[in-house]
Amino acid sequence: MNGHEVRVANRPLRECNQAIRAGIESGQPVTVTDTRSRHNLGIGLPAGAEVHFEGSVGYYCGGLNNGAHITVSHNAGWAAGEAMASGEITINGYAGMSLGASMRGGLIHVKGDAGPRCGISMKGGDIIVEGTIGYLSGFMAHAGRIIALGGADEACADSLWGGEVWIAGPIASLGVDSKIAQPTDDEIEQIEGLLASRGLDNGSRSWQKIVSAQRLWHFESRDASAWLMI
Amino acid sequence: MCGIAGRILAEPGRVGADLVKLMHAQRHRGADSTGFALYGKPLEAGYIVRAMTARRQNLSADLEFFLDLLREHGSDFLSDPTHDEADSDHVSVRMEIREPTSVTDWVHQIDEYSDRIEVQSVGRALEIVKDLGGAAEVAEKHNIRDFIGSHGLGHARMATESDVSPTASHPFWARPFPDVAIVHNGQITDYYTWRARLERKGYRFMTENDSELLAVWISDRMSQGETQADALKRSLTEIDGCFTFLYSNHDRLGFAKDRWAIKPLVAVDSNGTLSIATEEQAVRTIHLDEVEVVNFDGPSLTQTWQTHSSLDRAA
Repeated sequence: MNGHEVRVANRPLRECNQAIRAGIESGQPVTVTDTRSRHNLGIGLPAGAEVHFEGSVGYYCGGLNNGAHITVSHNAGWAAGEAMASGEITINGYAGMSLGASMRGGLIHVKGDAGPRCGISMKGGDIIVEGTIGYLSGFMAHAGRIIALGGADEACADSLWGGEVWIAGPIASLGVDSKIAQPTDDEIEQIEGLLASRGLDNGSRSWQKIVSAQRLWHFESRDASAWLMI
Repeated sequence: MCGIAGRILAEPGRVGADLVKLMHAQRHRGADSTGFALYGKPLEAGYIVRAMTARRQNLSADLEFFLDLLREHGSDFLSDPTHDEADSDHVSVRMEIREPTSVTDWVHQIDEYSDRIEVQSVGRALEIVKDLGGAAEVAEKHNIRDFIGSHGLGHARMATESDVSPTASHPFWARPFPDVAIVHNGQITDYYTWRARLERKGYRFMTENDSELLAVWISDRMSQGETQADALKRSLTEIDGCFTFLYSNHDRLGFAKDRWAIKPLVAVDSNGTLSIATEEQAVRTIHLDEVEVVNFDGPSLTQTWQTHSSLDRAA
């Protein structure tokens, strides 16, 4: 194994994160092993850092990312990349609920599926999911792009404020106040270009682009019944 | 927020030790109290009763009173009751009793005296043990790690809706249904509506806790002929709230997760064994190698699993 290795197992979390930072400061790539789905690993990592998690990680992995390139060999729990500003996170397996919650920039790439509320409240950046995105994905997102190649579960892009949700597969249902817009060739080219940069070239995708219907921008309490889900 | 867990073994073994591991790994989710519902070697006849008395100094008098009432219902102790030797005022008692003429009638009467002694579980195999504090503390006090059994549930509680006390801890028994226990992470918003309906049918609740309601709600549906799987599915549309709960009886353990998909649940399901918990890091204390973990992240989910209790064979 190249570079600096940090073994997690049952060690106290703070010690693990300090060891990851020490590895980064030595200028080497860091490999984190025996991760055991522990929470809060690799938070607020700086630009230039390369950190690989071998195994599955728990909640908030790569949260507040500030430019690091992070990879996870298996699954990530809830809210990987929460509130990240920049950098890249690649998850080879499944990403749990609230992936990239409130992120402001950077890229998250999931090779499996993502759970419910993917990109909830995101304010910028891109999320690419090769599989499907879960229930209520894009909920109240303000900016940025969520791109799902495999499709979307129920209530997709519910209460979307801004930003775009791109789906190249079936959509179980749209959430409230979102609509399907016709993408231009230029826009499709941009999305395909981003995917090609991740090794996901494919000229034959059929895209649906979802944007805000903007009715909730001017909420009137007399319209409340239109928004109730039960 | 609370943490829940369940474990099914392929054959009887150290299910107590596994549940303590699962709960210790989730202790940060709530340390108001911790509890376990353990299914041990089933009695061929009679019941195991787990109960809690309020005052250690009155223990013998309370047990004598309990026995008198048992005898009025055609029952008796099958052996001398045992209890914890801790310093706490409340005492956890374990009894083996001969089958009462009617469990429902007997429990209904003894519940009148719950300020002295509260029955916390009745079953051929089920034993509910719960107390204040974290998993390690409760396990030590009540010797949970040495418990041999087929399956069980665990709960770490952060109280949000009702009292913090040993008796308000989870798991809850679905009184008066023998061998039924529940652990729950969530809040039921139509609690009082359902409680009133169930009380009109004659059910009695010992706490103001919504989890106790769920246990009885599912059991009531099953007593009308529904399978556990069907009753769990029905709960998704008929009960309002934000919940994930595990329900177990002697032969089947299942879960239901509401339509809002808020409360997490993950499982490792392999070769007739099951580890299921709120957090993935908990099941990884049982499965140290990289294993397939199923994330029940979506809305409106249920599933049940067969346990390997010998109760059916014994009965």
